[in-house]
Amino acid sequence: MWSTDVTGFVHLHVHSHFSFMDGAASLDALIERAKRLGMESLALTDHQGLSGAIRFYRKARAAGIRPIIGVEVVVEAAGIPGCEADLPPAERLARPHPAGFGRARAAGFHLTLLAKDLAGYRNLCRLLSAAHLRAASADDDAGGTRSVVTLRELHRLSEGIIALSGCRHGEVGASIEAGVPWRAREAATRLARCFAPGDFYIELTHTMTPGSGDYLRSLSDLAGELGLPVVATNNVHYLTRTDAPLHDVLSAVGARATLPGPLGRPNAELYFKDASEMRRLFSRYPTACDATLEIAARCDLDLGLGSFHFPTVELARGETAYSVLSKLAWRGLEERYRPMTPEAVRRLQHELAIIEQLGFPAYFLVVKDIVDFARRSGIRYSGRGSAGDSIVTYALGVTDADPIEHSLLFERFLNPERRQMPDIDVDFDSARRDEVIAYIYKRFGAKHVAMIATVNTMTAKSAVRVAAKALGHPPAEVDSFSRHLPWTSARKIREVLATYPECRNHPLRDARHEMLLDLTEKLDHVPMHLGTHLGGFLITAEPVDSWTPLQWAAKGTVVSQYDKDDVEALGLVKMDILGLRMHSAISQTVELARARVGADAVPEPFLLPHDDPRVYDTIAAADTVGMFQLESSGQRNLAMRLQERDFEDIIAAISLFRPGPLEAEMIVPFIRRRHGIEPVIVPHPAMGACLADSYGVIVYQEQVLQVVRAVAGFTLAEADSFRRAMTKDRSRAEMESLHAEFVRRSVALGCTTEVAEEVFRQLQGFAAYGFNKAHAACFAVVSYASAWLKTYYPAEFAAAILNNEPMGFYSPRLVLDDARRHDIGVLPPHVNVSSADCTVEGRGSAIRVGLKGLLNMNARLLPAIVEARARRPFDDLTDFLRRTRAESDAAVSLIKVGALDGLGSTDAGRPPTRDEQLVLLPELKATLAREGSGGERALLLAPSHARPPEDSSHPSGWSVARRLGAELELLGLAVTCHPLELARTDLEARGVVWARDLSRQPDRSRIVVAGLRERAQTPRTRSGKRVCFLTLEDPTGLIDVVVFPEALQRSGETIVKHRSYLVEGVLQNNQERGIAVIADIVRPYVVRASGGAPVRLRRGVGTAPMGPFRGTAGHSDESEWSAADDVAAV
Amino acid sequence: MGNNAPIRRFDAQKTGQMLDLFGNAGRLPVVLELLSTPWLHRASDVDAPKRIEIPVPVEWDPERGRPGSFTRKGKRYEVDQVVTQWAVDTRWWDRERAVSRRCFRVIARGGVYDLAYDRLGEQWLLVGVVD
Repeated sequence: MWSTDVTGFVHLHVHSHFSFMDGAASLDALIERAKRLGMESLALTDHQGLSGAIRFYRKARAAGIRPIIGVEVVVEAAGIPGCEADLPPAERLARPHPAGFGRARAAGFHLTLLAKDLAGYRNLCRLLSAAHLRAASADDDAGGTRSVVTLRELHRLSEGIIALSGCRHGEVGASIEAGVPWRAREAATRLARCFAPGDFYIELTHTMTPGSGDYLRSLSDLAGELGLPVVATNNVHYLTRTDAPLHDVLSAVGARATLPGPLGRPNAELYFKDASEMRRLFSRYPTACDATLEIAARCDLDLGLGSFHFPTVELARGETAYSVLSKLAWRGLEERYRPMTPEAVRRLQHELAIIEQLGFPAYFLVVKDIVDFARRSGIRYSGRGSAGDSIVTYALGVTDADPIEHSLLFERFLNPERRQMPDIDVDFDSARRDEVIAYIYKRFGAKHVAMIATVNTMTAKSAVRVAAKALGHPPAEVDSFSRHLPWTSARKIREVLATYPECRNHPLRDARHEMLLDLTEKLDHVPMHLGTHLGGFLITAEPVDSWTPLQWAAKGTVVSQYDKDDVEALGLVKMDILGLRMHSAISQTVELARARVGADAVPEPFLLPHDDPRVYDTIAAADTVGMFQLESSGQRNLAMRLQERDFEDIIAAISLFRPGPLEAEMIVPFIRRRHGIEPVIVPHPAMGACLADSYGVIVYQEQVLQVVRAVAGFTLAEADSFRRAMTKDRSRAEMESLHAEFVRRSVALGCTTEVAEEVFRQLQGFAAYGFNKAHAACFAVVSYASAWLKTYYPAEFAAAILNNEPMGFYSPRLVLDDARRHDIGVLPPHVNVSSADCTVEGRGSAIRVGLKGLLNMNARLLPAIVEARARRPFDDLTDFLRRTRAESDAAVSLIKVGALDGLGSTDAGRPPTRDEQLVLLPELKATLAREGSGGERALLLAPSHARPPEDSSHPSGWSVARRLGAELELLGLAVTCHPLELARTDLEARGVVWARDLSRQPDRSRIVVAGLRERAQTPRTRSGKRVCFLTLEDPTGLIDVVVFPEALQRSGETIVKHRSYLVEGVLQNNQERGIAVIADIVRPYVVRASGGAPVRLRRGVGTAPMGPFRGTAGHSDESEWSAADDVAAV
Repeated sequence: MGNNAPIRRFDAQKTGQMLDLFGNAGRLPVVLELLSTPWLHRASDVDAPKRIEIPVPVEWDPERGRPGSFTRKGKRYEVDQVVTQWAVDTRWWDRERAVSRRCFRVIARGGVYDLAYDRLGEQWLLVGVVD
């Protein structure tokens, strides 16, 4: 029962961080303050959206506060018949500054809406969706009416909604402020008519300005005149007065201005005031404060969290979702298990019964429907995650790892003790993911599908930028502040600046920037804007806008304002339709290989038996560049130590190199026990049986369930609940209770207390760090397929990887270098031979670089070249220009990378050099522009003044260094040779050891290595120190370098600011730890051409829509460090 | 323009309007009424006012949450009424020009005074005197 205390007060107009750049209070802080001030209810009314509403609802209820979900919308003018411009100048109102953020932003009058009940909540969603989607596309502003609610919509969708007339930016308030009382009266009358009698209030906000008294009195008089009730609010934008600066910063930058921003608030009074303060402020209007309690009592929204809402599945007459699912599953089981085993039958019966009991058959049918479409259409896909624990998903063809063979446990996926929406994630071929999405829209209806949002929050980089912009620093200075900052949280900025070597000379270390750093720290994790989830889709039976507000996303898709947690909380079905480029690469490799050797000669890689020793030899040799999940430097190191021999080993490798197992340092005992260096000792024989695959180490979450069942006799469902309880942060008392229960039940089964205690201690140590084996097993299927293709079709595999960049761990340059190291020739791009993509020539012995990745290549020219060449090859540069109309910048790029080498002839009886072509180019372009494309095939031009060839043995006339420089800059690839080949003599003179020779060097020997930086990762160690893992590449292979904190202090700046190094250190070369160089010092190394000029190693900046091959690694300093810190943060 | 429209529409006669301003209730209610009339503005608000900043001792009335009295030139001014109050917090990012004040427009001894508590200087100031 909620009281109506006459001294109480409820804030009904409150903005949080989810007003995106116009709210400086977190939901937790608001709720905590309401609770501390003894307020029983609290409303949330963010601008133009409900992004924070569901989490607010859940948090508030958990805290014992009654949540009121609302929104402050922008609404069209109600007080005048036409538009503002029709009025005499004296009576026009200034249009309030736009509210909302991104594509939900709109300028107009504000109106505060509160949901009384579920009907009201749904109408809020519909109103917002109607307003935001009024525009035909993401970039259309619908004549300025996008995201503005119309009166007609208000009228139609007002059921269950209480409206407050708004702050000073509401039409009623703005009219009073401007001294146009007739308009205020008109607006209030018309707005009130949109709502049920008694549901429209005149909102009184005391902003503590000199005119506030007059403003309130006028509004109160107006309310009395119209017979409308009044209600007091404080338009809360921050928690306390001291938080006002943060709000000023956010709102200024949100409006793309510097402080004080366009709103220029006169004071810091929009804070969360307590009831007595609000009552004192409104002492002349006690009924306005009483009304807050009355409204709060009338708002009783129950979102029905905990129930599920599945999309409609079409069923034949007499069938149920369960009956259809069970038929499909049994049919699938027959295909998967030949012969069928009793265990498979028992398992399927068990799982189907639980699925039915939990009410989820419809969900499985939806997933099945989507993957069936993909299969029918030949779109490669694979299920992932804990769904792999289910034999139902395996039988339905959603996942590909046999749950019985790999000891995967259904209860890890669906625990009957915890009725929670199952989550089946499926990866689809990236190149064809759009087809799957189109199918989903078609199958379920566009009104029933939306993408899911993500909430992007501020990190150190973005927070520094926001604070610096607000304080008026010029753009170049803002860039200099955020550059070289690692990807870390904003609250750590001072620590980062003080301790990170790459920040030693950072401009923010200047004492003048104290205030900037203060603000940055306070901006930590503040939501900035909504993003679109990579592949999360929301599918509903009712129109989706009755569950969630929708808006346009930047990509032109309709996106919900809720993120995945909100959607899950509402009990709605979400599907992750993720694109996996590895699937595209695998499909393309198969296609290229079949084109070369015949369709029958290349089996479907996902259906291969996992028993080919050559594949395991390749993996164990750490020759894994390009392989799915097995290629990173850490995985290569692990492969050297693990020496994978079967499919279980691949699953183990994928699982061990994960944040949890890494943090729990599981790899060392695993390797030592595998190689017999230390014995496998387990406290209980049953535990030994459960952990046989992992030598007594608890690597997998499924193993925790097995151990708890075997030792303490828990059911698998209980065991899963036990594992989850141990995984979360638990209080000491809760942990003690788990402990006591485990020991009691273990002892009851005949275990000694000591053994039970020891098993529990081990579970406690590892349960939180274990990896989901089903997820690893699903990935391992893809890993094996990629490893098989790399082993048998290396040229096709490398070409396919290059064609699907950005993907994987390495840069395209390294992928090509790796192919070269496998004796695959690398052929330069050429206009008469190359396609858009990389292709394979010479019966699989060479890769021809494609034209797609060339800097300045464009979407028009690329097909024009292929089309013109199909008629007849190009004769020379003139012919090429005439027939393709190539733009100058593209032609320059093509000439520089040798795509026109060897074409035509000069007076000297040889083809023109690249320099000669470059000199000719402007003249030819001018002549062609003058004469058009008709006329003679060849234009005769006088010889130009080009510099003499540097290397007359090559048709380009360019030296190796110059060719290489152009390739790296324009293609991002080293076609001619590895860059360090140019410095081979110098490096050998310095005693450098090449990568391929490292395995022959003795352990702990002092060595010098050289290489180009491929990756630099700096995960934090358990002790909180920073260790840098450098992956370098020399012409013979990859070198892993570990830079410990002391060396990092000396070399951090070098690592960030240079790309090629000489590393002095100690070699680690043993089976237990693998091969790596422990660096003492990292020095920059400049690769020079024979003339002494440095060779440019960076690629140029690509132009949309095409550009140099865009790898994810080895390019941007910042992204590398950020990726490193991402790893550390997991 | 909009703010003064009601005054401009007022039908002024050369001889002026005969109004019994004070009646029997004394000056205070009338002054309050005039000060709270939406369309009547103080001269200092309409024209550029001559603002002052004189530190004055103020006694705070904790029960009513407002200044109880202030002393100026040795004379004590009991606050009869707080007409309005407002707050100013601007330019916090500029230490030289930052302002953070809580202001009270009070009636004391028949005059109207603006008192401000300066949070940065932690002192009371008299910032405006009767028009």
